[in-house]
Amino acid sequence: MNGPEWAFPVVQSIHFIGFALSIGTIAIVDLRLLGMGMRRQTAAQLAADLTPWTYSGLAIMLITGPLLFSADAVVYHYNASFQFKMVCLTLALLFHFTLHRRAIRPEGSPVIARLAGGLSLLLWTAVVAGGRMIAFV
Amino acid sequence: MTILSILEWIESTDLSTAIREGALPYPILGGFHLLGIALFGGMVLVTDLRLLGWAMQRRPVSDIVQQLRPWKWVGFAMVVASGLLLAWAEPQKLYRSPSFWIKMALLLLVGAHALVFRAGVYRNVAKLDEAVTVQAKLAAALSLFLWAGLIVSGRLIAYDS
Repeated sequence: MNGPEWAFPVVQSIHFIGFALSIGTIAIVDLRLLGMGMRRQTAAQLAADLTPWTYSGLAIMLITGPLLFSADAVVYHYNASFQFKMVCLTLALLFHFTLHRRAIRPEGSPVIARLAGGLSLLLWTAVVAGGRMIAFV
Repeated sequence: MTILSILEWIESTDLSTAIREGALPYPILGGFHLLGIALFGGMVLVTDLRLLGWAMQRRPVSDIVQQLRPWKWVGFAMVVASGLLLAWAEPQKLYRSPSFWIKMALLLLVGAHALVFRAGVYRNVAKLDEAVTVQAKLAAALSLFLWAGLIVSGRLIAYDS
């Protein structure tokens, strides 16, 4: 990653494409859980259709992220925004694969669905915002 | 009045100085821009993948395109609003950045794409529910390339100096 000048920005761009794919598809399910879009499908249907793409995006993100980290590992390790981002990312992933998944089930309560959709959007927003702040602290 | 004097005037405005020199506005606008990219990009990607027949094949094309459209516009508005403010902060740097001009050229192509394919594809998506036309698939493929190009050229702006 510390080789040619273009390597870092190009991997960063792929990182962006990965998170647009993963967070974009998660947001579609979340907006449905909140009742704010995609109402012709259920959240469970949307999640079933989009999961392969969400996972593809997560994979791109989780491969390119450590690559970028490796370019300046010590600096990132001590960067407060990076630490914040990693905490939020861990929470977002844990939430996504546990409570969020349960809230999507058709037999779930609508209140829980709304809470899960809102919390998921909030966590992923914090991950992105924390990532952007890394360069500024 | 030369272009450079206009750019200098922009940089002398209070808004430009505040975004450029304050500790918080620039990263906050940058974060907002990124969130807009995730929202706009997510909606564009899923729309294009559906038209190409790679995602959500069980759902009618019109369901996907029509239901994602409002959120696509929300994401687009976020990206444009934050992008204009970020550009207002340092127009001289952007004026000298080749990546910025590539990004603007790609944006023009995005506009041309919308005009070219509006009548045949996007205004009448219900007719694509029976079969997705070659024209619609071409529109989706071009849209994917344009979007990826915007991301890469946008990211490269920070490395032109």
